[in-house]
Amino acid sequence: MSAADRLRGLVLPLLLLAAWQGAVTAGYGDPRLLPPPVEVLRRAWQLLVAEDLPLALAISLGRCLAGFALGALLGLGFGLLCGLSRAADRLLGPAFHALKNVAVFAWIPLIAMWFGFGEASRIAFVTLAVLTPVALNVWEGVAGVPKPLLEVGAAFRFGGWQRLARIRLPAALPAILTGLQLGLIHAWLATVGAEYFLAKGTGLGGVLIEGRDKFDMALVLLGILLLGGIGLLLNQLLTRLAARLAPWRAA
Amino acid sequence: MTLQQDRSGWLTARGVGKRFAIAGREVRALAGLDLDIASGEFIAILGASGCGKSTLLRLFAGLETPDEGEVRHAGARISGPSLARGIVFQEHRLFPWLTVAQNVEAALLNAPGSKPAKRQTATELIALVGLSGFEGAYPHQLSGGMAQRAAIARGLVNRPDTLLLDEPFGALDALTRAHLQRELRRIWQRQRTTTLLVTHDVDEALLLGERVVVMTPRPGRIARIFALPPELPRDHADPDFARLRGKILATLDAGPAVPAAGLTEHAA
Amino acid sequence: MSLALSLPEAAPPRSVRWPRWPVALLLPALLLAAWQIASQRGWIAPGILPAPGEVWLTLRELWESGDLASHAAWSMGRVVQGFLLGAAGGLLLGTAMALSPRFEAYVRPSFLAIAQVPVIGWVPLLMLPLGIEEVLKLVILTKAALVPVTLNTRDGLRAVPQRWVEVALAFRYSRAQLLRHVVLPAAVPPVFTGLRYGLTSCWKALVAVELLASSEGLGYLLVWGRQMFQMDLVIAGILVIAAIGFAFDAVLARIEARLQRWRAA
Repeated sequence: MSAADRLRGLVLPLLLLAAWQGAVTAGYGDPRLLPPPVEVLRRAWQLLVAEDLPLALAISLGRCLAGFALGALLGLGFGLLCGLSRAADRLLGPAFHALKNVAVFAWIPLIAMWFGFGEASRIAFVTLAVLTPVALNVWEGVAGVPKPLLEVGAAFRFGGWQRLARIRLPAALPAILTGLQLGLIHAWLATVGAEYFLAKGTGLGGVLIEGRDKFDMALVLLGILLLGGIGLLLNQLLTRLAARLAPWRAA
Repeated sequence: MTLQQDRSGWLTARGVGKRFAIAGREVRALAGLDLDIASGEFIAILGASGCGKSTLLRLFAGLETPDEGEVRHAGARISGPSLARGIVFQEHRLFPWLTVAQNVEAALLNAPGSKPAKRQTATELIALVGLSGFEGAYPHQLSGGMAQRAAIARGLVNRPDTLLLDEPFGALDALTRAHLQRELRRIWQRQRTTTLLVTHDVDEALLLGERVVVMTPRPGRIARIFALPPELPRDHADPDFARLRGKILATLDAGPAVPAAGLTEHAA
Repeated sequence: MSLALSLPEAAPPRSVRWPRWPVALLLPALLLAAWQIASQRGWIAPGILPAPGEVWLTLRELWESGDLASHAAWSMGRVVQGFLLGAAGGLLLGTAMALSPRFEAYVRPSFLAIAQVPVIGWVPLLMLPLGIEEVLKLVILTKAALVPVTLNTRDGLRAVPQRWVEVALAFRYSRAQLLRHVVLPAAVPPVFTGLRYGLTSCWKALVAVELLASSEGLGYLLVWGRQMFQMDLVIAGILVIAAIGFAFDAVLARIEARLQRWRAA
């Protein structure tokens, strides 16, 4: 990207900012809904240096990682089982494919009734949100190893374990990494979603709710910024990691 | 020989050089290359992969421009593709969303003539390459050989005065290749379209070409040009054919000739 | 080459090939039976998991009373509106971004920033100025469809293989001809894939917004069931949401396969 393009990318946000400031100066709109940009910045800074927000973030990230670890483990196990065993594929596959059509938020009422509104319920939701993409990608990756590669293994008389360790898993690694990457994104969204829907006011989701209820635009905007920013960060982290682990993955 | 001279200079390359940047390093694909192709001639350009032969063809096609020197067609400097020069690529490159007939007609998009006339021309060309009955088939329904026939029909449909073939049979099995080589020779003998064939197959060059241009790599230059005697039997088993093949292989192995490249030698 | 293609694929080494459907249904059927028996014997409290028969009865009641149809109609109406708006916008935006690098330079960073923030973030922000009525839902659903459609349209139009572009150059296609005869047909599959993602993402977002703020729709059915501690209603709702989501996707997958039939068997 050229420097000129980078500047062009700033035009729209700056225009928006100018329009916002203009509207405030001209006195349009409810000042509670439309505080001046500088005011938002000031509030955001206050919130960031106060203890509450970093604590909320830490809580959210902890939940996200716990759910991710659990969901990724289950998803890997389930995906490997179905990808490697034809019997498991036939038995479990159709049920899994039917259930994956449930929009993930639809599970919330069920989870709430089973696990209550506590921490268990939130972790369960994140786990569920991670499990699906991980299982699906692992499954397809392991089952979809190109036949010519497997035939190479057969030609050199690889045993079952050798085929798994030397051919199937390395060949499936890019797909598995994609699954984990998707899983982490889903984990983050599900974390905030769980805090929002199964709320008792903790974590980043709690921050958003508080901002909404108090009509605190600065708080809501900051929450959104953190929500998007951390998601981006987690994603880039895993992209880097994936590039390191599977450098042959096609560009 | 006056006839020969009148026909010469149809396609020319003068002092042509071409560089590419590969992984940050500059690679000279062609350097100081001169070539003169006569009208109606079938010329085969032979070389190992990476010797710049495809680059030379793409320069004549107008898909690349030379960094040094110039390429000309019928006296005019080539500055871009032209319908007067048909092209067939190594992969068939048919549009997968079009049928065989539609693919051939797609080449006529910018040709003069009414729609029915174009359809008629396309049908004729499809018949010429022996694909009648497959006009409505999609590329994925064709075998490799059939798809390449369709690509040849597409290359010829504008009735170009020059046909550029970039290893058109490289991806085909031996039987299909031999068959299509005979067909191509038949078509050329019938139409006498100036044809430039790029290949890495010595036998293919000998079977089809009137002259065989042998190129050597790094940078791509012409090592030697063999003018095949008109009476040479186009037959692998023939002793003259075999002797010529040996000579060409030796040239390919030896690398560039020490004195000025581009000298025509009359073999035989 | 044709020979190799016409050869039947070698049979897999495993000797037993079970027919697909009975096996596929085996586990769900067993589970269902176990579930039914466990419920009847009182091993599972109905508040945790009602018997399948009860869920079935609830579904039938919902169907016969017309509640199911009316809630589903609300939900689908919202999705269709949001999807149409988002898809139209996405096609336009994606095309413009693909065709004009300059336009893309202006718009892409802002677009990505908007795309990066999920539905769950937009809801509280938009609630403040828009309230919790239909406009909020429409905006959220439009955004849900817009993002994947835009990205896939842009990438689909941009990623047309060079080898086809060269053919077009060789036959002296103009820019318009290149667009109409090569770029657009080649981009149909990826663009359609974008539409399919868009619809799926719309459906997911719908459930989220209906859970948050609505008094009708399938998401509301779930909320209502939970508040009334009617587990059968919640499960029935989930089943219907899954079925409609599946139907949407199946229809689009069908069309997608038809559009791509030239993409080789």
